[in-house]
Amino acid sequence: MNHLTRKEVAFFGRITAGITHEIKNVLAIIQESSGLMEDILGVTEDGTFPHKDKFIKSLNRIHRQIQRGIDITSSLNRFAHNPDHCPASLDLNEITDQMVLLASRFARLKNVVLESNPSDPPLIIESDPVSLEMALFESIEILLNITDSGGKITLSPRKIQDTCVMGVGYDNTVLPEEDFLSKISSTERWASLQEIMTRLGGAVKVFNLAPEILLHFPESIDV
Amino acid sequence: MDRMKILLVDDEHEFVTTLAERLELRNMNVSIATDGEAALGFVENDPPQIVVLDVMMPGLSGLEVLEKIKAMDSKIQVILLTGHGATKDGIRGMQLGAFDYLIKPIDIDELIEKLNEAIKSMA
Repeated sequence: MNHLTRKEVAFFGRITAGITHEIKNVLAIIQESSGLMEDILGVTEDGTFPHKDKFIKSLNRIHRQIQRGIDITSSLNRFAHNPDHCPASLDLNEITDQMVLLASRFARLKNVVLESNPSDPPLIIESDPVSLEMALFESIEILLNITDSGGKITLSPRKIQDTCVMGVGYDNTVLPEEDFLSKISSTERWASLQEIMTRLGGAVKVFNLAPEILLHFPESIDV
Repeated sequence: MDRMKILLVDDEHEFVTTLAERLELRNMNVSIATDGEAALGFVENDPPQIVVLDVMMPGLSGLEVLEKIKAMDSKIQVILLTGHGATKDGIRGMQLGAFDYLIKPIDIDELIEKLNEAIKSMA
């Protein structure tokens, strides 16, 4: 398949962003309807409705899932707006949280826990948001590809000698040091990750001891 | 104490009718409109104290409706409902005279807090 052009990516983004608003409207209606049920239960006298406790428990479950839906669609909405501006001012901490939410299903399918370890203060760079998130996703996929099941992947944005870096660390059974690099560099996605990082004016390195893939980003890029 | 008089405006009919029921349970006097034209009709014929207004609607947008409401009666307070990622609409709305804005889906307690604040500001 040909590479997607920027216009085509923007088209996908526009449609997806529109759909997320529709999903939010659905969630809003479910939220108000379940809230109304809760209100009615609240004004129902004790003892007049024998299943009140079970209803409240079920409504609480609905509320938790609504909140989960809101978090996912909010992240998807931000993701869909990525092609709107390039280069854009990005906080690596925010991008990290967004990616953890969006990629958690891929990790869950391999029983892998995906989490973020944000830095304090914000790490702001000027970059191409679509390519940057692709680089993060490719890194996660590379690590998922080398594991059979289980373990933890941690995204750790931080500064190393004034350079903004994203660490994508893998914590599973201990691998021999030389195995980590040889395993990840044998995956198809490794070449793709290197290509993306070159396009972003950055570099990809591997830290065997952690083990961790380190993505180095420049402060700004020319597009 | 007089019941708070509110107009809810959103093109999602099921959303406004359900929210109206919840506010009525809290002893508020609530009317609903599902488009900007209908909302302006209410403001002209049976003016509310507060309008809770969705920004993204077909036809007249929420911001256009806000401007018209303020031109008709500047004392009416308007609380905007925006989507996530559309906070710039909320900020623009406040520049046009909205009391505040909330992001959908809304939290009922937060809405009630804003309604009370809006009523107090009118005193």
